[in-house]
Amino acid sequence: MPSSQNPSIAPLALDPTALRPPIDDAEIVRVAPAELLAKLAALKAEGYSLLLDVGAVDYLEREPRYDVVYHLLALPLAAASVAEVGTPRRLRVLCGVGAEAPEVPTASALWPSADWAEREIFDFFGIRFAGHPNLRRIQMPYDWVGHPLRKDYPLRGPAREATPRPPFALKSNVPAGAPPSGKVAAALQKQIARARGQEPAGGSTDGEKT
Amino acid sequence: MNTIDTGDVLPAPLPGLGSMDVVARAGNTMTLSMGPQHPSTHGVLQVVVEIAGEIVERLEMEIGYLHTGIEKSAENLFWTQAGTVIERMDYLNPLGNAMCYVLAVERLLGITDRIPERAKDIRILMCELSRVASHCVWLGTGGIDLGAISTFFYSFDIREDILDLIEDSGGARMHPNYLRIGGVNGDLPAGFIAKLDALIEKFPKRMRELRTLLQNNPILRDRMIDVGVITPEQAVAWNLSGPALRGSGIAYDVRKAFPYGGYEKYEFDVPVRSEGDAYARFLVRLDEMDESMRIVAAVRKALDEPGPVMVDDPKIAQPPKETIALSMEALIHHFKIVSESFRVPPGDVYQAIESPRGELGYYLVSNGNNRPYRVRTRPPSMYNLQALKAMAPGNLIADIVVMIGSLDPVFGEVDR
Repeated sequence: MPSSQNPSIAPLALDPTALRPPIDDAEIVRVAPAELLAKLAALKAEGYSLLLDVGAVDYLEREPRYDVVYHLLALPLAAASVAEVGTPRRLRVLCGVGAEAPEVPTASALWPSADWAEREIFDFFGIRFAGHPNLRRIQMPYDWVGHPLRKDYPLRGPAREATPRPPFALKSNVPAGAPPSGKVAAALQKQIARARGQEPAGGSTDGEKT
Repeated sequence: MNTIDTGDVLPAPLPGLGSMDVVARAGNTMTLSMGPQHPSTHGVLQVVVEIAGEIVERLEMEIGYLHTGIEKSAENLFWTQAGTVIERMDYLNPLGNAMCYVLAVERLLGITDRIPERAKDIRILMCELSRVASHCVWLGTGGIDLGAISTFFYSFDIREDILDLIEDSGGARMHPNYLRIGGVNGDLPAGFIAKLDALIEKFPKRMRELRTLLQNNPILRDRMIDVGVITPEQAVAWNLSGPALRGSGIAYDVRKAFPYGGYEKYEFDVPVRSEGDAYARFLVRLDEMDESMRIVAAVRKALDEPGPVMVDDPKIAQPPKETIALSMEALIHHFKIVSESFRVPPGDVYQAIESPRGELGYYLVSNGNNRPYRVRTRPPSMYNLQALKAMAPGNLIADIVVMIGSLDPVFGEVDR
């Protein structure tokens, strides 16, 4: 969001994920939508038992436009003590999806917990999950138009974005065109005089004796 | 006539979806709608259950009644401002949310190793106090669900003391925005330590009273034991975390598995139960409160050492207020940070912490601007609540209330 106080020093990154080696505990894998399901199934068989989260990012000008992000955790099933859990491996799977009719296969057959997360991505980004049992909006009202977390969706919604914000004067409780009372200016004058150690001419009117 | 922003006319609301209304009958079963204004749902959750007699056969949930678009808001604020809205996700544990967010931003900035020890200690103190306060709400309201009114007052007494401490340090009871990128906003005030000591001294007695009231209470045991059982396999498949996972016998705690923000310095145990029912989750949370206070007591000792509470980096840390009128550099840095924040190097990061409800994670993406490009939350409440679909079938409809209570969802976080 450009503004006068925010001059662009360096050009903004189109694909931030490609610019930096991982700085967290996770290993990062990138797959194409066509291989996604096979890859996730293989990872699950390999021991990544927990699908921690499914999220999405809209990169708008990048090709492919969206990233669907899977966070996996290799949590052992029988681990009754902290030592047995140890430090489980973390993995992040990034799957790029194009802007035209974005669609990826659902992971809800592998992990039932993907259900709500995928519905949320559909709701917020309009990415469809092929084979999802119940793909409908989850957070926004069911008759909402548009996908609000897309970067081209305005912050205040398309309808309000079309109407300008009311000017400051309209929010005031003083009717427009009312003549200035002069009270504020007088009080300010008095305050300045007092700070300079001079009593205003005509004496104190507020009954205050200092 | 109802209209929404896009100018579309809303269709009439679905018929018969009030609180506890019969939606449909078919053969032996009946479909009921509970909520969204049902008092036992601790917020606004609509549960649609298909029952045969009193036994739940199928269950669906509608969430989103509290959706406030916090992720979108955060993406339109500066890095320094986003913490204020992020704190409002999990409103019972605002400092935990802030902790996770600032840790993630610090990783992106590459200043994780430069955070002063005292700042880390204060953050851990705040997180653990928040955990106790959050569990107090769960204990009090969970007791009310089951008809135990008096525990509410006992547990809210502890919570009140903790909120006083939070108010003293950050200036507000609920959303103080005290944890900042690079440290905390100012040192602890005079008198804080004395109040903290009083709380540490009072806590074991209060906890004994609460345990006497609840833990061996026959009514409570009858309502909780063998209700809402989750096996370890189910817990992993449904992505549970926190006390819900540890109640099913898996000792995964982010503080131990991926120590963050200085937790490796402190000794504490991770309570685990293998039964997997509501009572096991209840006991895990009670034990967790004791462990948290153990950490608090250890941090209290470390707090005797004075030291800086903010990273020594004028581009990130606001200069002390009293220097602004005296130093030109301080004035400029202050103006820059307040008016346009700072830029964060491009990249993505996933940072997780152990919130009272489980693994709270933030997946942050920066494109090099002074605002976060993407703030994705991994909401523990949402995933825990989703498991109700697996837990409820076969149980009595009256036990749904117990099961929701035992998962401790916070709807500010479920809906965000």
